Formats: sequence, C-alpha cells, structure tokens
Amino acid sequence: MEETTGAPARTTAWSKQSNPYLVPGAIVLAGFLIGAGLYFSGGVQIQTFTDTTLASKSLSAPPAQTNIAAVRAITEEDHIKGNPNAPVVIVEYSDYECPFCKRFHVTMNNIMQKYGKTGEVAWVYRHFPLDQLHPRNARIVAAASECVNELAGNDAFWQFTDGYMAVTPSNDRTDLKTVLPQLYREIGVDQGAVEDCVASGRYDQHVQDDVDNAFLTGGRGTPWSILVTKSGKIYPINGAQSQQTVEQLISIAQKEG
Amino acid sequence: MVSVLRQLGTQWKYALLALSVSSAVFSFAIWLPNMSLIATVVSSQTLPWYEKLSFVWSLYGGIRSNFSILSATYTIGIALLTGINVALLAYYIRRVRGGVRSIANSGVTGIAGLASGVFGIGCASCGTLVIASVLAVFGTLGVLSILPFGGEEFGILGVLLLGYVTYTLIKKINAPLVCEHAPAKTG
Repeated sequence: MEETTGAPARTTAWSKQSNPYLVPGAIVLAGFLIGAGLYFSGGVQIQTFTDTTLASKSLSAPPAQTNIAAVRAITEEDHIKGNPNAPVVIVEYSDYECPFCKRFHVTMNNIMQKYGKTGEVAWVYRHFPLDQLHPRNARIVAAASECVNELAGNDAFWQFTDGYMAVTPSNDRTDLKTVLPQLYREIGVDQGAVEDCVASGRYDQHVQDDVDNAFLTGGRGTPWSILVTKSGKIYPINGAQSQQTVEQLISIAQKEG
Repeated sequence: MVSVLRQLGTQWKYALLALSVSSAVFSFAIWLPNMSLIATVVSSQTLPWYEKLSFVWSLYGGIRSNFSILSATYTIGIALLTGINVALLAYYIRRVRGGVRSIANSGVTGIAGLASGVFGIGCASCGTLVIASVLAVFGTLGVLSILPFGGEEFGILGVLLLGYVTYTLIKKINAPLVCEHAPAKTG
C-alpha cells in the first residue's frame, strides 16, 4: 500500500504535485529583473538604437562609461536664452520631433518667463535627434535651426525653435516642405539660403558633437537636461519633468550655490 | 467579486497593505528615471529634510508631463492591481492556510504580471527604462524597435496578467472550503 493509515490520499497527491521552489524562485527572478534594470539604467533612461543606425549616422558610439561632469562648457557657439552669466544654467539636449521635448519646451519657456528676466536662470539648447525614432525629420530640422542661426542670429534660432515646437505634431509626422518655408517667412530668413546651408552639411558635425556629448553625460532619451550652477554643482534632469519640479530644483541649486 | 473586494476594503489591515504596496509600486515607476537626481538632492548636507521631501514629492507631477496617456494608465493600473493582488493573496493565505499548490500558481502568475509590468515601466519620454537596460546587457536592444509601442506592450501585458490573477484569486476566495477528492491509484 502507498498510503499510511490516517493519511488522506489528497495530501499525498498534493505533496507530489506542488513545487515548493516555485514561489520563492519567482520572487528571486522578479527581484533580479528589477535589480538588473535599476543597476544597468544607472538612474538614466536608455534609448533604443540599432547598431546600423549608429554606424551610418554617428561618428562615435555611446560610451560604456558615462560621466555627467563631462557636460561641454558653454561657449558663444551655444544657443542661450537668458543671461549667459546666470548662476543657474539648464542645458537641454532636445529632439525637434520628440513629443515630450515639446511639452518640456513649454515648461522651460514658463521657467524663463519667471527666472529669465531677473537673470537668475539661463537656458541652453543643444541637439539630440533620436535617429531610430525620428529618422526622417529630426536631424534635418536640427541642421535647419543652425542655418537659421547663421543667417539671422540667436533670436531667430529661438524663434524658429519655439515655432517648430509649437506647431508641429511630432514623431516624424510633419511635412517639412510645407512647414519649414512658413517658419522661414515668419522669421524673415531666405528659404533658399537656409536650404543651401542644410544641403551643404556644414552643421552635421556640430549636431553630432551635441549628440556625442549627450551620450557621454548619460543621456539616452529626450529631453535630457543638466542643471549646472556657477560653483559647478550638477543636477541631471531626466525626461519632461513638471514645472514645479524644475522650480524646486532651481531653488535647491540656488541655495547650494 | 465586488463583495470580496468590499470585504477586503473594510478590513483595515488588508486595505492598508493594498494601499502601501500600490503606493510603493507607483512611486518606483515615477522615481526610477531620476534616481541619481533624487540621490543628489537627498544626500545634500545643507538642505533641510522638508525641502528634500518636498522635492521628491514634486516628482509625482511627472505623471502628467512625463508620461503618455497609455503609459500613465497602465502604470497606475499596475500599481493598483499589484496592491490589490498582494492584499488578496495575504487574505487567501490566511484563510486557506495550506493550499500550497493553488497559492503557488497564483503567486507565480502574479509575480510574472508584476515582472512584466516592471519591464514595461518607464516614462514614455524616457523609453521603456527597465527592459532597455536589461536588453542592453544581451545586445538585443533592436528588439524593442520592432515592437509597435517600443516596449510598452510589457506594461499592457503586466496589467492583463495582474488582472487575471486578481480575478482568479477572488474566485478562489469565493469558493467553498472543501477538500478535493484525489482519485486513488490502482495497481
């Protein structure tokens, strides 16, 4: 006989079929997945990209080691809104076709409305086109913005950027042949001159340098921003955070110096 | 089904358990993209504790600015369902006290649902954070580009799995406490 007296058959059947390692094993697996995600993300997002995209468009691959302190120093070549000598500078790496960059652009304009007039905060715009997500338009518009800057100056750059962010639908759904000429007319730059400039490719390396710096500092998606104080304190801002968060961070940065 | 949930809701310890777990999961999703920023602020020697707390609290506003409607919905859904699941599981374990196999099955499916949800978590502006991190290790990031929602499918799958587990747990709780007859072996 298989059963001892008094031991019900169902207990034996259950004992044979239940696996005591299932639940703890599943918990360990879930914990590993969560831990791996946290460890490898290192507190910043990782943008998907293919090796072929990198090989064809980028001169450098995202580095294995990132260093947020490697944020490139702000120079006259940068596009700055506000006081260039402001004690708090927010360097944003952005993509003209990213919907969340458009949201964050509104937030940053509100921030500049509040802090820009008093000279407390400056906003630096750098390029971070996401080739895998926006292969059609992002780099072209980035180059066009640089050409507008070359022809008409920093104010025209910001007018172009504000306009493009406000009127276009994002995610490569914009018909550039329709939208860009309208923007050029509003700003007052010659469409032919801008298009010749874009076609020449002379700003491709500048855009790529911005992309490389974004990767080097830990950026893996957009918007990717770095708040820098005059004393050199650095705060990374990942994603389109709310205006309240940015304001609080500015306040913290001002206190910490 | 509603009666089981109502029963759970009126017992403060299970309601508190559900709320705590839901809050923890939701907070994890909101804070994950900015862990290093949080660490920088919280480790400050000069800021008072209430300012640190206020800053961390302000990050919850990111659910509106940093998430698409889809990703915000499944993030909240995963958080709520996980909390409800854990409370249901605790209630069921206490009630049954020995149905190892059935608890294990529900637990495994629930954890699979949570793991899938964790995979899918990430603000839409950041990309699917966790899965991209893990896939990067295996050099298979290109997989995500094939998926129509860039990996957010895992979040949706997490909600579905957790919803299924919630349903089965409630069914088990509603089932009468009887011993199942196991057919005797012959030979």
